[in-house]
Amino acid sequence: MPRRKRDLTARQQLARGPMDLPFLMLVLMLTAIGVIAMFSASYASAYYESKDHNATYYFVRQALFAVGGILVMWLVSRIDYQTFRWVSVFILLASIVLLILVKVPGIGVTRNGANRWIKLPGLPQFQPSEIAKVGVILYFAARLSKRDTVKKKPWNDKTWLGRALGLLDKIGFLELLPYLGILVVVGGLLLLEPHMSGTILIFAGAAAVLFAGGIHWGWFAAGGAVMGGGLWFIMNNTDYMLRRINLWQDPWSDPQDGGFQIIQSLYAVGSGGLLGKGFGKSMQKFLYLPEEQNDFVFAVWCEEMGLIGAIVVLALFALLIIRGYWIAIHARDKFGALLVVGVTTLLAVQVFLNIAVVTNLIPVTGISLPFFSYGGTALMIQLAEMGMVLGVSRQVQAPRLG
Amino acid sequence: MADNRPRDLDANQHHTGDDRHKKQRILRRTVLLMVVFGVAAFIPLVGKLYDLQIVQHEELQEKAARQQTRDMAVSADRGTIYDSEGNILAISATVQNLVVSPKDIKENELDKSLIATGLSQLTGADAGTILKRLENTKSQYEVVARKLEEEDAEKVRTFIKDNKLASGVYLEPDSKRYYPYSSLASHVVGFVGAENQGLYGAEMIYNDLLSGVGGRVVTAKNGAGTEMLSKYENYIDAQDGRNLHLTLNATIQGFAEKALEEGIEKYDIQNGGFCIVMDPNTGGILAMASNTGYDLNNFSVIADPIKAEELETMKEDPNVSDEDYKTALGQAQLEQWRNRCVNDTYEPGSTFKSVVLASALEDGVVDLNSQFFCNGVTHVGGFDIHCSKRTGHGSQDLTLAVKNSCNPAFMDIGQRLGADRFYDYMEDFGLLNTTGIDLNGEGGSQIWSRKFFTSEEGISSLATASFGQTMKITPIQLITAASAVVNGGHLITPHVLDYTTDSDGNVVDTYEINEVRQVISQETSDTVRSILEQVVSMGTGKNCYQAGYRIGGKTGTSEKTGANENEDDYIVSFLGVAPANDPQVVMLLAYDTPKPATPGSSWTAGGTYISGGNIAAPMAGPLLRQILDYLGVEKQYSAEELSGADTAVPQVVGYNESQAGNALKAKGFTYRLVGDGDKVTGQIPAAGAVVPGKSEIILYMGEERPTEAVTVPDLSGMTPGAAQQALANLNLYLRGTGSAQYFTSATLAATQNIPAGTQVEPGTVVEVTFVEKINDFAENNNLNNSLN
Repeated sequence: MPRRKRDLTARQQLARGPMDLPFLMLVLMLTAIGVIAMFSASYASAYYESKDHNATYYFVRQALFAVGGILVMWLVSRIDYQTFRWVSVFILLASIVLLILVKVPGIGVTRNGANRWIKLPGLPQFQPSEIAKVGVILYFAARLSKRDTVKKKPWNDKTWLGRALGLLDKIGFLELLPYLGILVVVGGLLLLEPHMSGTILIFAGAAAVLFAGGIHWGWFAAGGAVMGGGLWFIMNNTDYMLRRINLWQDPWSDPQDGGFQIIQSLYAVGSGGLLGKGFGKSMQKFLYLPEEQNDFVFAVWCEEMGLIGAIVVLALFALLIIRGYWIAIHARDKFGALLVVGVTTLLAVQVFLNIAVVTNLIPVTGISLPFFSYGGTALMIQLAEMGMVLGVSRQVQAPRLG
Repeated sequence: MADNRPRDLDANQHHTGDDRHKKQRILRRTVLLMVVFGVAAFIPLVGKLYDLQIVQHEELQEKAARQQTRDMAVSADRGTIYDSEGNILAISATVQNLVVSPKDIKENELDKSLIATGLSQLTGADAGTILKRLENTKSQYEVVARKLEEEDAEKVRTFIKDNKLASGVYLEPDSKRYYPYSSLASHVVGFVGAENQGLYGAEMIYNDLLSGVGGRVVTAKNGAGTEMLSKYENYIDAQDGRNLHLTLNATIQGFAEKALEEGIEKYDIQNGGFCIVMDPNTGGILAMASNTGYDLNNFSVIADPIKAEELETMKEDPNVSDEDYKTALGQAQLEQWRNRCVNDTYEPGSTFKSVVLASALEDGVVDLNSQFFCNGVTHVGGFDIHCSKRTGHGSQDLTLAVKNSCNPAFMDIGQRLGADRFYDYMEDFGLLNTTGIDLNGEGGSQIWSRKFFTSEEGISSLATASFGQTMKITPIQLITAASAVVNGGHLITPHVLDYTTDSDGNVVDTYEINEVRQVISQETSDTVRSILEQVVSMGTGKNCYQAGYRIGGKTGTSEKTGANENEDDYIVSFLGVAPANDPQVVMLLAYDTPKPATPGSSWTAGGTYISGGNIAAPMAGPLLRQILDYLGVEKQYSAEELSGADTAVPQVVGYNESQAGNALKAKGFTYRLVGDGDKVTGQIPAAGAVVPGKSEIILYMGEERPTEAVTVPDLSGMTPGAAQQALANLNLYLRGTGSAQYFTSATLAATQNIPAGTQVEPGTVVEVTFVEKINDFAENNNLNNSLN
């Protein structure tokens, strides 16, 4: 027998507040559009590549995961997000274990020469990096939210080491060490898979949380400089990166191999025009565009729905992202705010990078489009993250507290 | 309740200044993130999408469409070429190309040596060459043999099937051009190259019409190359080529080529010749022959046996390099393909006098009463120009001057016309421009500039031009001008195309007769024709004379004066028109360089004097007769032709055939033989009987001479020809009388001196009076009824 509201604690009552309706509606709309777009995009390869010419192969699975995901989102939103403070540690630890398991034969799944997937008994295949993203953001948000309450321990300034540590503490380096350590471990494991795009996303999400959490901007400048310098060095000193840059600037220099995918994507996007060819009428999805149900779903969407359709989706994403930050701003506490900032930034970066790749704004990196790209567990985890944001939004109307 | 509150709720009860500052920092930074990720990041995305979807839309769409569609050519059938009677001169048929895919042969591990030897046996291709091509394993398309006909293709198919070679050896359809008449009218019809593109003649000029428009099938394909749903398909039907119907007549062409060939043989002609037969009223070419033809089905093979042999010796000769041989072969081929009627120029000689005559008459500087004197030579501009008759023709009127083909008289005529007017007429007769005939490579004339021609220095040019020397025009220019001279003055563009039909046989386009201008009046034209007719009946053209065919014409014997030409070489020619009263054909027949018996001699080894009148005219006469008969042009006999002067039949019984023949020929009779004995045993009519000259005497060679009386038939209403035939059937003779100058089907028998039904002896002469058909409607009707 369900408990009545009056029987609940104040905290429980807070967690029963109303969800942010605009955010919820935007999530539902994008999920719906995403599943439909993925259906159209995957139609051809499902038809040609599945055993029994089952054109709805991807669609049915994705739709089921979407329904399941929405259920998960609702359930997660019902959890008092304060719980995530302590759960985050376990999620993070679990994800690190999973990232190690990826390399274990029999559990890790090798695909295209990378071990990004894992197959555990009783569970569908999934990418541990998705869990790691959540783990890192939750843990960082939880840890940062307590930052202001932690009393600073005075360093023994009599010893040389103590003075040095005192100085490092003063400029805020010492407090960064746990974060950096986690990022090195998680990022290192991801790079071993290898999973460059996953690394980028986790770094971006973590950086956003740290940034909003109040870490001195100088560290970001320094980090950005180091990363930029490293990237510049790699770009100029490895043939692989140089080739990628050249292909980015002129995909037609190698139309059959390296430039093939992006050329096919540009054909799809470009032939859409203003109004598109009409839903379901993409030609590029007929085995021309590789990964059309996955990273390049948006290219097919552009071909079928034109610039208008593309802008509608971009607008929905923009509104979702803005509303996400709005929830963060209005969050009841710092943990909630940082949690939402992390999740929202992760989403935003993912959207930006995916569409930038599809339109050849940046060199190709394998980043899927939230809500659109095929992948059941990814969609479910994405919706679960949205559930967390909604959970935070439930407590917005409560009296504002620190 | 308070106990359940989370720790931090209590801990953050009181806001310190530092707290507020920290909170605002989070707020500011979150807003910054919101602006960056919620707004700013989308700007380049939208910009890039706009660039791709609007700015680059067309370009990208086109490129995408190119890879998404398969564009297959559908070949159009090449049209057929017909002559004016519907005989097929050129037609396309499907043949097969034999193709191998060395790549697939390698991948499927097919037996290469089996393929090479097998295909070599079936197609005649060299086995070694095939093997070498099979080594090119990157290729998927090597054509081993082209244009195999069905019989060979079937053998190849069986070979492929029996040896299971289908994965690497296959046939693909192609089309091949066939020329059923092989060499007939080769220079007019022309031929096509390996890709069925017209290279010469009508095949070239009308290539676009003949080849049609290839169609396309555009189908959508997916990334794997598989064809997709039919809704993406787009057909553009191939438009088959048009059929050409030429004015050319295969039969007349055959006559012309035969006459040309016979003349070349008979008079030992060194450089071939040419012949054009044209309808002067339409400009339609009925026949056009240039030297000897070549087999259009094997156009590369040298047809001239002498040249072919020369080349063969060159090929065998180890001292002659392969390259030299190929050059020589190429040159021989080009020469063989040249249509000298259209491509080359020559000096027309005296045949050109017909044009000069017409010009002078039109201009009024001469008339039929004009008098000319020839003493055999004329001094012009420091040169002595001789007449063909060194002793001179003496005093002549215009007609006689033409009949004599007198050069001094024509120089006089030229002078009377004046250089300026002379030049005007050359221009008006189209001699300064190409004619615009629809054949390839028409050459232009080599004629002085007006400035030079009309100047003081040009005076000798005017003199020589007056008899057609030292100027060069193409044969087609001459015959086109001559056409205008005889057809009432209309200069008409010559042409070979009559009309075109589509693949279903519907007429699409008809060649529109193009009259360039009227050069001379109908009257002048009539006068010239009557003079030209007299040239044939009594002048230099008399060797062309054919009773019953009113042929007008002009002979020509022109020196070849080109840089590389021998001074003693002549082109002998005859320019003819028939019938002279109503021209249906004009013809130019020419032989290039009859071989003199000894160098410098004016006689051939066969004893013929080298001149147009002696070589070209005798060939032209029978040729014109054949053509006119074929065209169904009605014979027209003069009273004299029909009956001739009454002559007593000589006694020939007891003679052998040649003796009897000579005796009869001496009197102007012809004869026919009955039976096959050696001696004449009887004759009709009997010796001493007086019958019309030129009658046919019947000689009985061992067979019984019939003696029973025959019944005179009723001849009234019959044409002269019919009446003569009716009487000849009964061994009777016709003497025609009447007022008409010429007897045609418009002339009908009115009365006969021996009434119908009378019994008479064979050989009796029946005198029939003919009258002109009366152009009265009612009478006409009656006559028609009686004829029917």
